[in-house]
Amino acid sequence: KHVSDINPRSVVTPLGRSLQPGLGRSLQPGLGRSLQPGLGRSLQPGLGRSLQPGLGRSLQPGLGRRWPHQQTQKRFLSQDPDPSKARLKLRTRLLVSLLCGCGLLAAWWYVDSEKQQKLRMQRIKQLRKAAVGQGTFSLLDHTGRRRTKQDFLGSWNPLMPPVQPIFITVDPERDDVASLARYVKDFHPRLIGLTGSLEEVEHAGRDYRVYASPGPKDEDGDYIVDHTILIYLVSPDGLFLDYYNRMKSQDQIVDSVRNHMKNYTRLS
Amino acid sequence: MAAPTSLERKICWSARDKLWQCLDDNGGRVESCQTFQSDFEAKCPAQWVKYFTKRRDFLKYKEKMQTEGFTPAEGPKES
Repeated sequence: KHVSDINPRSVVTPLGRSLQPGLGRSLQPGLGRSLQPGLGRSLQPGLGRSLQPGLGRSLQPGLGRRWPHQQTQKRFLSQDPDPSKARLKLRTRLLVSLLCGCGLLAAWWYVDSEKQQKLRMQRIKQLRKAAVGQGTFSLLDHTGRRRTKQDFLGSWNPLMPPVQPIFITVDPERDDVASLARYVKDFHPRLIGLTGSLEEVEHAGRDYRVYASPGPKDEDGDYIVDHTILIYLVSPDGLFLDYYNRMKSQDQIVDSVRNHMKNYTRLS
Repeated sequence: MAAPTSLERKICWSARDKLWQCLDDNGGRVESCQTFQSDFEAKCPAQWVKYFTKRRDFLKYKEKMQTEGFTPAEGPKES
């Protein structure tokens, strides 16, 4: 037979339908019963009996009634293969059910991971539209060295530490290079503090949508600055990925960053 | 004036926490916690003292709203 002679439908449909309970009967009338939950039965070549209408019950144990009386007697005397056959059928049935279950699980898992991917792409698009942190900044670090946003772009690869902590002051009037050097000392050794002129800092603040408002000065000239308290996570290509407020614990932030890193490499 | 160092910040916060603990134990009466109050004012910058005092008032108010509920003020009566 030529390949084109085979109607693909006749190959696919029965198999597809056999996975759905209750539709067994829509196929060949004689096989109606063999497609019910004991699915294994229809796959057993040795169970020719199931293909004959009217003998559906012949597959059940204790079918002595169907057999001639003498033969039943004989069977009790000799090694009775029926129990082992029944055990084999059960094992095969279980195995097939397990395989089907695994197949379904794999299919679900695949579809779900596709959905997660789509959601991630959507979120990336939204973040790009929000355009937080686009543009570039040019500020002085706490050693007096000028840094721009370009200096911090890179990639998440195993050779470099994945996170560069950066602190940008919202009060450049008081936070000069020396003050920042004193300040960042108390934190992680890799923390870079950034400051600059009022315009430079305001420009960076606008890029990152940061709110800052110095309060009134008291008699000592002291004042406090009201400002947003956020940690931004920026990707190696400068894209705003996520933010963390005061309610986030250390572990929550770590988990979130790890998650972003894992998903990021897969997309790029 | 220079900003407080990490150690100075911690000392200030600790003094504030001790004061607030005392106030919680004494039903918010400042008279019973004078030593803590003067310690707090000595160890924290003046602006921080003002800020933390306001913050405590806010937190107490918020707590009151969350436990006792909120009755909206009556608007102007229509005539």
